[in-house]
Order: sequence, then structure tokens, then C-alpha cells
Amino acid sequence: MRKLVVLMAILLCVVALAGEVNIWSWRSQDAEVWKQVEQELRKMGKDIKINFTAFAPTEYDAKIAVALQTGTGPDIVYSRRLPGGRTQTMIENGLYLPIDEYVDFSNFSETILKSVTFQGKRYGVPFAVQVVGIFYNKEYFDRFKLKEPETWDELVEIAKTLKKNGITPFFVPGKEAWALTMQHAMCGVSVLGPEWIKKLTDGETDFLDPKFTDLNRRLNELKVYYQDGFLANSTTDMDAAFAFGQAAMVFYGIWGYQNWKNLNPDIEVGYFMVPPLTKDQKPYAYVYMDGAITLTSNVKNLKDSIEVLKFCATPKFGTIFANITYNIPAVSGAEIPKIPLLEEIVDVYLNHASPYVYWVGSVFVTQKPSLYDDVLSPGMQEMYAGKITPEELSRRAQEAISQWYEPLKKRLGK
Amino acid sequence: MKTRHVLFFVLPALALYSLFVVYPLLDSLTLSFYSWKGVGPKVFVGLKNFKEMFFGSFSKEVFNAFFHNIYFFVVTSALELGLGFLIAFLLASKLRGTKIFRTVVYMPNMIPLVIVGFMWNLFLNPQIGLVNNFLKLVGLKSLARPWLGDPSTAFLSIILVNTWRHLGFYVLVILAAILNIPPDLIEAAYIDGANNRKIASKIVFPLVLPTFRTLLILLFIGSFNVFDMVYAMTGVQAGPFRKTDVLGTVFYRTAFGGLGSAYTDMGLGAAVTVFIFTIVMPLSILYVFLVERRERAW
Repeated sequence: MRKLVVLMAILLCVVALAGEVNIWSWRSQDAEVWKQVEQELRKMGKDIKINFTAFAPTEYDAKIAVALQTGTGPDIVYSRRLPGGRTQTMIENGLYLPIDEYVDFSNFSETILKSVTFQGKRYGVPFAVQVVGIFYNKEYFDRFKLKEPETWDELVEIAKTLKKNGITPFFVPGKEAWALTMQHAMCGVSVLGPEWIKKLTDGETDFLDPKFTDLNRRLNELKVYYQDGFLANSTTDMDAAFAFGQAAMVFYGIWGYQNWKNLNPDIEVGYFMVPPLTKDQKPYAYVYMDGAITLTSNVKNLKDSIEVLKFCATPKFGTIFANITYNIPAVSGAEIPKIPLLEEIVDVYLNHASPYVYWVGSVFVTQKPSLYDDVLSPGMQEMYAGKITPEELSRRAQEAISQWYEPLKKRLGK
Repeated sequence: MKTRHVLFFVLPALALYSLFVVYPLLDSLTLSFYSWKGVGPKVFVGLKNFKEMFFGSFSKEVFNAFFHNIYFFVVTSALELGLGFLIAFLLASKLRGTKIFRTVVYMPNMIPLVIVGFMWNLFLNPQIGLVNNFLKLVGLKSLARPWLGDPSTAFLSIILVNTWRHLGFYVLVILAAILNIPPDLIEAAYIDGANNRKIASKIVFPLVLPTFRTLLILLFIGSFNVFDMVYAMTGVQAGPFRKTDVLGTVFYRTAFGGLGSAYTDMGLGAAVTVFIFTIVMPLSILYVFLVERRERAW
């Protein structure tokens, strides 16, 4: 009995003395990941207590900027991807620290590492790759003998069949403008194609190209297949509606899967890339690096923080991350859960990612007015509400981006 | 000796006031002359932020929000004071059940705003919301709509929820003013043959008018500081496409960023707060002046 008491006392002392590492994030869904990381580290003989705190995504950036400048920030933060104004500013002001000397990055591809590299140094361990596209309820596709569409017209036909049978074809969270921009962008990579986006980036074409307006028009015509009153619905509404079968398809990202499964473990979800216009065109997916786990200048427990970051760069972390969040880990060699959907998503990420994009990770969102914040976010809502035409949306994009984007300025002789 | 005593009692409050009101105010004013991304050095830009706010591309966003604030004030005042007076008059007439109704009408005031936002977002949900389902039930399906997603109804919906939440406060204040009217006046009017409508319009209303004036100023200040209700109902994006935007949400987006924020600069955000301050400050002084004058009169 006395031995047990002594053992307990020693154990308590060890726990009390364990180093603490504070981590802040905008991803509340990762809380369980850090609990498991803590356990794994303990198994490896590293007594590190991880305190994970999540903040609302809309407040997160301001929160860490203030905290890190006043010395009240955590050891580690989730940082936004590079290139990007916010992360770059944090690095330039010494609030994020390079970790090349501590972490082995051999498990990451060069493409992924670009999103954490600034002036030749690496600021953080990338954690996830996001794949967006159309997710569908397999039960409805089976019931009405529908096949994944290969062309845009086939997609419209599927929507028609579903609607005719009393099923809402698409649930679109129109209240959240960013989700509509994402919808436009994921359709763009397949319908317009990466070659067209490359031409746009190089200044060989512009937003007044009939192809861009045609995509706006197609999206606008698709709205008859969205749920009634879709402009008043949020992503929370969408998650619930899709999980419980109130709609057959959603334009969304793989990060939604965790939530749908939590809400309804029985749901069977399938995925397809937005189909192109014709069968001879190859479909593409919008794939982007989400962010990184970064060491801050406020670090109080450097030794243990480095241990945590080192672990984040291992396939083991990727396995934990994928099993809990169903996201694709950025680190190679991780074991992805044996779920057909995730296997398909990994294949899409490896073989069908569009090399050119015009949303997150593109040049068109790096300055003001931005294609994302100033044009497509309000513009898509206005178009869907019938306040502007597809042509007007193209004109706005042209007018906004030609204010600062040199290749477009040159093309227009500005 | 006397001055020293006064100072002793005033100083703690003055220190707190200076620290939490005067200092942030002056700091915001100073910041409005700088460009600052929230991190790193502040760059002095003089009046550039104000120029951008009033004449630059940012002005469209600011004036759109400014006119929404004015609209908010006009509609809120008409509803809060109009309904407030009507309900207060009925409560003052001591009908059966007035005590219960007085509590009921004040209850929404006690619900935390986050819950109000959550609750009304559910009520107004186009598919499962109580409002649309009720309209369908009573045969008014044509009136059902996506209240917070329709540009023609989104802002009005927020104003109505705001009215629902705060009405109790206005009812209580107006009721207190009505109960302060000497009963002899009303009794004499009854004896002279005046009916309820005449009493309301010729006696009660003129006598509660000074209270209305005070409440109107409070409503004006509140309307230009409104943020929380819009934030809770349509978020920081103030959608659909800024149709519910007010200066408070413009400030929040500009200063703190977030998804879909077109302009992000703490200095520009500070310029927006200075703009709000210059609108609200004169009315606040007038309010203090009126309250003091009434206190002196009593």
C-alpha cells in the first residue's frame, strides 16, 4: 500500500513537472488530435502536456497578432499558408520563427514546402492538404441509378432527375460568400481548365473572355436546383441538411466529412470533381495547402515545443491527424483510414490537382481589390439574388483586377 | 483642504475613466493617422485614411453602412417609441394581467445576445424556421421567404429582432414617465368627458415627450454603435452582399480582418471609429445636458 502511495506521488510529481506547450488554432476539430499526440509523445518518454486552444476563424488572426506582440501568445500557432500577406508580415516582424535547424522535412514534397517557405527558410510544419469538389449522398445516386457525371450537361441532368423525384439536388450555403467563391473556383478549374487560368495569369486572356462569362451563366442557371432560400443558409445548415439527406449534393471541401459522419454515422458519401464541358476535357480538382504548425517568438518552452514540431513532421502524426479529422495530411507516408472516399480524395490530390487556380493560393487574391474578397464573394451573392448579370460579374472582375495586376494592365494597354 | 477631499474621491474614478475611456479614445485618434497591419511598425500617413474613407474606393463601403445606420435609427425609433408608448399606456391603465405582461415584455432583454442571434437565425431559417412554417400553416405561403438571405428583407429582419429584444426597456421607461403624471390631471380630464384616446394624445403624450427626447438620443447613439445584433444575425460579412452592413461591422472587418474582408488596416479601422465618434459625441453631450436640466428641474 505504501509503495503504491509513493508510486502515485512520484507519478503526480512527474505529471506536475511535465513541460507544457501551448498551441492556438482556428481549427476546433483538431482538439482530439493533440490529445493523441500527447499520448504518443508520452509513449516515447517525453512528458509534454499540450494545451490546445481554438478561436473563431474570423477572430483568430487578430488574436494571435496582438498576443504575440504583447508577449502573451502561445509557444506554437497554426499559421496561414504562404504566399499570404498576414503570415509574411508575422515573419518579417520576427513573430514566427524558422525551424529548419530543428525539424526534418524529408517527409514533405517540395510543392507542399513552398507554402511554408519564405526567403529560403521554413516557417512551420504543413498539416493538411484540402481538396474541394462535389460531395454526394450515395444512397440517392444508387436509388435513382445515377452515375458520376463526366460533363456539365450530365451534372444538370442528374440535378433534373433528383428534383423530379422530390430530392433537393444541391444544398448551397449562400449566406457565406466565401463558400460561393469556392464554388466558382472549383468549377473554374474544370470548366475553364488550368490552361485557360494559366493564360489569364499570363495576361493572354482576361475576365471578359466569353468563357468566363459562360461559367458565370452556367452557375446562375444551376441555382434552380439549389434548396429554396439558399442565400439565407450557412455552412452549419448545410452540414446538417446534407448529413441527414435533405439534399443530394454539396459543393464543398473534404474537411466537411468529419462533421457529416459525426452528425450521421450512416451516411455514405461519394466525391467527384466538377465535370468539364465536354468528355474530351480532363476534369480537375481545386487542391490547396491549408496551413502550418508554427513556432512563435513567444515560445516559453523551446525544448518541448521543438519535440512537438518534430513529431508533427512524422508520418505517425499524419496518421493520427487523418484518422481523426479525415483530412489529407500534408506529410507523406501517413496511413490514411481505409475509407473509399478518402482513398479517392488522395488519388485526386496526387493526380488531378489543377496547377493553376484563381482562389486561395493564386496571385489574384494577393492585392486589393482582390478577386476573392472584392469581386466574387459579393458578386456571386448579387448574381444569385438576380441583382447583377453574369456579364456584369465578369466586368467587375476585369475592372477590379486590372487596377493592379500588371499582365492584365499590359494587355489592356493601361 | 476641501479641494483635497474632493480630489480624493474623484481621483480613483477619474483614473479608471482615463485608462479605459480617454486613453483608448486618444489612441484610436492617433492610430487613424497611421497605416498599421496590426503587426510591425506603424507608418504615418497623415489624412490618407480619412481621404480613403470619404473619397476613395473604401467610401462606397463606408457610406453604404452609414446609410444603413441612419435607416436603423429611423425604423428602430419609430418602432421602439411607437410600440413602447402604446404598450406602456395599456399597462398604465391597469387592465387585468398587466403585471404578467410587464414581465413578459421585458423578458427578451434578459436573454444573452448570442442566444438571441442563434434563436432568431433558427426561427428565420428558410427551410425549418418557425416563421416560414407558421406562414405556410395559416395559408400565407407566398409571404414565406429567406428572411436573412433576401436583400429586401435581411436588414429589416435584424431591426425587428432588435426591436423585439429591446422593446421591454422602452416600455418600462415610458411607463415610469406615464406613472409620474399626477393622477388628478387624468381624473379631471375624465370628469370633463375626455375619452381614452383624447387622454392619451392631449395629456399623456405631451407629458412624456421629454422622456421621448431622451430616449431618442439614446436610440441615436445606440443605432450608430450597433454591431452585436448584425454580427449575431448575418455575421461580420453583413450579407447578403453588405445589405446589412453598419459602421460597426465595417470597423470590425477593417481592423480585424477575417474571411472576405476587403480592406484590412488597423489605422483605417481607427478612422472609422473616429467617424462614428464624431457622429455620436455631439448627441451624447446633448443627452447629458438634457438629463442634467431635467434633474435640476426636479
